[in-house]
Amino acid sequence: MTTGLDQREDGELIEIILGAARRGDVTTMARTAAEVSEMIRNWATHIPWDDFASLDGADDELAQVVADLEEMWEPAHLRNPVDPDEEYALDKNAYDFYRPAGRNLLTRTEDFHDWVLARRRTETWQYSRVLEAAPGSVAEITNDLGRRTRGINFNSQDYLSFNTHPAIRTAAERAMRDYGPHSAGSPMVLGNTRISDELERALGDLVGLEHVTLFPTGWAAGFGAVVGLVRQEDHILIDRLAHSCLQQGARAATRNVVRYEHLNVESVRQHLADIRGRDTRNGVLVVTDGLFSVDADWPDLVTLQRVCREYDATLLVDVAHDLGSMGPGGTGVLGLQGLLGSVDIVMGAFSKTFCSNGGFVASNSPALKQYIKMFGGSHFFSNALSPVQTAVVLEAARIIRSPEGDELRGRLFAAIDALRDELTTRGLTCMGEPSPIVPLLIGNEKLARVANRLLFDRGVLAFMVEFPVTPTGSSRFRLQVQADHRPEEAREAARIIEGAIADSRAYLSSAFGSAAK
Amino acid sequence: MYDAIVIGARCSGASTAMLLARRGYRVLVVDRSSFPSDVISTHFLWPHGMSYLNRWGLLEQVLAVTPAQTEIDVVNDGIRLTGSVPAELLRAYFRDLHGDGSGVVRTYASIRRSVLDQILVQAAAKAGAEVRTNFTVRDLIVEDGRVVGIRGRAPDGRSVEERARIVVGADGRNSFVARTLQLPKFDERPRCTFAYWSYYSGFSIETAQLHRRGRLACAVVPTNFEQNMVLVWGPSEWSREFRADVPGNYQRALDFVSPELGELVRAQGTREERIYGTLDQAAFLRPLHGPGWVLVGDAESFKDQCTAIGMTHAFRDAELASAALDRWLSDDASFDEVMASYERRRRGQDAAAYYDYVCTLAEMRPYRHDELQLFVALRGNQQEIDRFIATHADVAPVSEFFQASNLFLLNDAAKETSAGYPIFEDFAATSRMYQQNLFA
Repeated sequence: MTTGLDQREDGELIEIILGAARRGDVTTMARTAAEVSEMIRNWATHIPWDDFASLDGADDELAQVVADLEEMWEPAHLRNPVDPDEEYALDKNAYDFYRPAGRNLLTRTEDFHDWVLARRRTETWQYSRVLEAAPGSVAEITNDLGRRTRGINFNSQDYLSFNTHPAIRTAAERAMRDYGPHSAGSPMVLGNTRISDELERALGDLVGLEHVTLFPTGWAAGFGAVVGLVRQEDHILIDRLAHSCLQQGARAATRNVVRYEHLNVESVRQHLADIRGRDTRNGVLVVTDGLFSVDADWPDLVTLQRVCREYDATLLVDVAHDLGSMGPGGTGVLGLQGLLGSVDIVMGAFSKTFCSNGGFVASNSPALKQYIKMFGGSHFFSNALSPVQTAVVLEAARIIRSPEGDELRGRLFAAIDALRDELTTRGLTCMGEPSPIVPLLIGNEKLARVANRLLFDRGVLAFMVEFPVTPTGSSRFRLQVQADHRPEEAREAARIIEGAIADSRAYLSSAFGSAAK
Repeated sequence: MYDAIVIGARCSGASTAMLLARRGYRVLVVDRSSFPSDVISTHFLWPHGMSYLNRWGLLEQVLAVTPAQTEIDVVNDGIRLTGSVPAELLRAYFRDLHGDGSGVVRTYASIRRSVLDQILVQAAAKAGAEVRTNFTVRDLIVEDGRVVGIRGRAPDGRSVEERARIVVGADGRNSFVARTLQLPKFDERPRCTFAYWSYYSGFSIETAQLHRRGRLACAVVPTNFEQNMVLVWGPSEWSREFRADVPGNYQRALDFVSPELGELVRAQGTREERIYGTLDQAAFLRPLHGPGWVLVGDAESFKDQCTAIGMTHAFRDAELASAALDRWLSDDASFDEVMASYERRRRGQDAAAYYDYVCTLAEMRPYRHDELQLFVALRGNQQEIDRFIATHADVAPVSEFFQASNLFLLNDAAKETSAGYPIFEDFAATSRMYQQNLFA
C-alpha cells in the first residue's frame, strides 16, 4: 500500500495528466500516473494508468482518455445548466412546506406558493382543475392555466352515475320547489325537514342500524364521531391508511393514538391487550375504513369486531366508498362480510355514490345518537344538509336498494373488470380488489407528475395522488369508475395511460418499475 | 467451462463468487488488482451490511481487526440525534428481501478496503472459487448476441480465454462489462457531492459522528489501525473552489460544520496519509441483466457517497443475485424468471424511494425549516430516532417513516421545542448565508 504525506493529492495529479494528455505528452502522463493513489487507480478502472506511455497520439485512444479524465476532473453537469423551474417543480413535495419559517403567518406561506407556481408553470400541478359541464363518463375540463381538454373521465366520484340520472334530478327539483335551497339552521335547531327523518330511516335500513345522524359533509361525520366520543385519557387505534377526517379527529381527541399496520387485525389485538394491561378504566376506539380509497382493499371486519368486543373496545367503520356501490343490494363491505346490523358504529359519506355532499353516523344505540348530536361539534354547529341534498340522497338510497341499483352495479363492475384487465395485461399494477376505485401504482412522484401532464392532452382525465395522501415514493393514479363507463371506453383509457407512462419513463430516462419491494 | 465468471473481486464480486461456490458451482473470479488492495470508498458498513458478513460467517474475522459500534450520532445544525438500528427492523429487512431474517447484528463498522476485500477474496477462494488476481479483462466473448466468456491478460502477459454459462459484472462504477456492452444509464442524477478524506491517529471517539451544517457535512469514524477516517463533503458546485487549497479548505470545512471536531482533529490528530478526494459521484442505474450477463453492486446502481451505503448494497446484490442464479443453474427456473425476481427487488418502489432519498440528500441543499423542526421533534423519542436512522441507512422503507400520519404523530409527541437551538433564531438570514460558497 502506498501511503505517505509527501505524495501530492490526486486532483492535482489528474490535472497535470490531463494537461499533458491534451498536448499528447505521454511521457509526462506516464510519470505522473505512477504517483496517483492506488485508491483512484482501482476506482477509475477505465483509465489505462499503466499504459499511458504506449498511447499513440494518432489513435483516438488518447482522445478517449482525455474525455474520461475530463469527466472525472469536472463532470459535465457542472458545465450544463438545467431548467430550474422544472427541477424545482418535480423534486419537492408538499410536506417540504409543512413547517414554514418565520413569525408572520401571512408572509411565511410564500415559499409554498412559489413551489405551486413552478408546478403550475410546468403543468404538473394536478389540483384546481374545473369542470365545464356535468361530469359523465366523458368530461370537459380546464386546468388552472386556462387550458381546456376533454377526456374519458376517471376523475369524478359518482360511482353509479347518479349525477345525470333523471329520477335524481326530479327529486332535486321537487325539494327545491317544496323547501327552497336553504336549510336555514343547525339540525339541532330547525335545519331539518320531514325528508331528513325519512333519509335517516332509509340509511338505517341500508346498514341495518336503527339510529342515524346526518352531517353536512362526510368529513364532518368522521371528525364529529371521533371527537364526540373520545376524551383525552381514552385511546384510539387507527389503521394507518384511514381517511384524513378520522386521522385528524383522532389527533384532536387524544394523544393516545396508535396507528396500526394497514389491515393488520392481529396487531390490533396486541395493542388492545397492551392497553388493557395498563388501563382498565378508559375507552378504546378502533377506527378503520371499509373500502380503503388509497389501496382499494378492506379489513376482515368480522374478526376485528370480535377482537374489539373481547377487550371492551368500540369499532368504527367508515363505509364512504363502498356503501351503495358494491356488495349485495349495495350494502358494501358490511354486506359482503355478513355484518349488517352488527358493527358498533358505522359512518359514511354521500359524496361517492349518493350524489351529494353529506355524511352520517349510525349505530344501534339511541343514546349514542343523542350524545354525538350534542358533542360532535360538526353536527350541532353546522348548517344542516340542504333540502335539495337531502332529497337527492334519499332518492339515491331508494335506487340503490331497487333492482335498478343491482343493474347499475353490474354495469359498474363490468367497466371495472375491463379497466383492471386491460391495465394488468399491459404489465401495470392495479392495487387491491375490484372496486369502484382502481389505484394504478406508479411509485416515483416525478414519473407520476410527468405522466399526469401527458394524460391531460391525450384524452384521459385521471387524478394523480401523491404524498401526503400516499406515503412518499408510492404515488399512483386513482381511477374512479362509473356505471356509465362502457367497457371499451375503459380499455381505451388503459391503452392511453400505458402509453403516457411509457413516454414519461422515457422522458425521465427511468428504469424503476412499480413493484412494491 | 465455468458455471459463472465474476469480473471484479471486491464487495459485490468476491461475495457473489463465494456464495455461488458454496452452492457447489464452478466459479472463476478475476480482478485486475492483487490483494490487499485499496480503492476509493466510504468503507462503511451499516448494520445490515455487517449482518450479511455474519450470515456468511465472516464477521468474526472482520471484528478481530476492526472496531465496531452500535450507537451513532447524527447532528444537523446543532440538533443531535443519537440512536441505533433496531433488531426487529433488521430482521424484517432480511425477511422481506431474502425470505430469511436470521443472523442480524446491530453494529456498524468502518473497514479499510485493504482489510475487507482481502477477507472476501480469501473467503471466495476457501469456498472453492478459482481466484485470479492481476488479471485484466480485455474483451467479452459474445456469440449469437450472448455473452459466453471473457478474454484477458494473465499476470505473465499471456492472453487467456475462459467460458461460462453466466458472466457477472461486479466491476464497479466504471464497469468494464457495462462499457463493453455499451449499456445505457438510466435515472441519472448528476448533482452530487465532492468528498475529501484522510486518516488520523492520535485521538479516539466512542461513536461515529455524522455532522451537517448548511451545505457541508463531515464524518469522523473509527476505523482499522487505530485510526479515524475524517471525511468532509459538500455540493459538487463548490468543488472547483475547494480544490484551490485542499488541506486548508478541508480543515475550514471541518471547523465550519463542527468546531469541536475541527478542534479535535487539529489539536490531537496526526494525519497518516495524503488527503484523498473525488467528485466522480453522480448517481445512475444500468440495465441489470441480459443474455449471458448480470450486473451487481455499483456497476448496476451507483449512488452518491453521502449515505455510505455502497458496500452494504453490494452485499445485498451478491445475496440476491447468487440466490437467483442458483435457481437457474440448478434448473429450478428459467433465466428470465430468476432475473425478473432479481429485478423486482432492485427496481421496485422501495428501491426507487431510497434512490430518490440519497440523490436529494446529495444535492446538499441547506436543511429546510420543517426538516430541522422534525429533528427537534424526534429528540427524546428514541423509537422514532432509531427508525429514522434505519430509514436513512435503507433498512426500513422510506415510505413508512415519511408518511403523513406518522409525521403528524411525531409532531404531537414532541418533547422539545425549537427554543433551545440557535439555528431557529434568524433562520432566513442563516439560510441565505449557507448559500454562500465557503471556499470562494
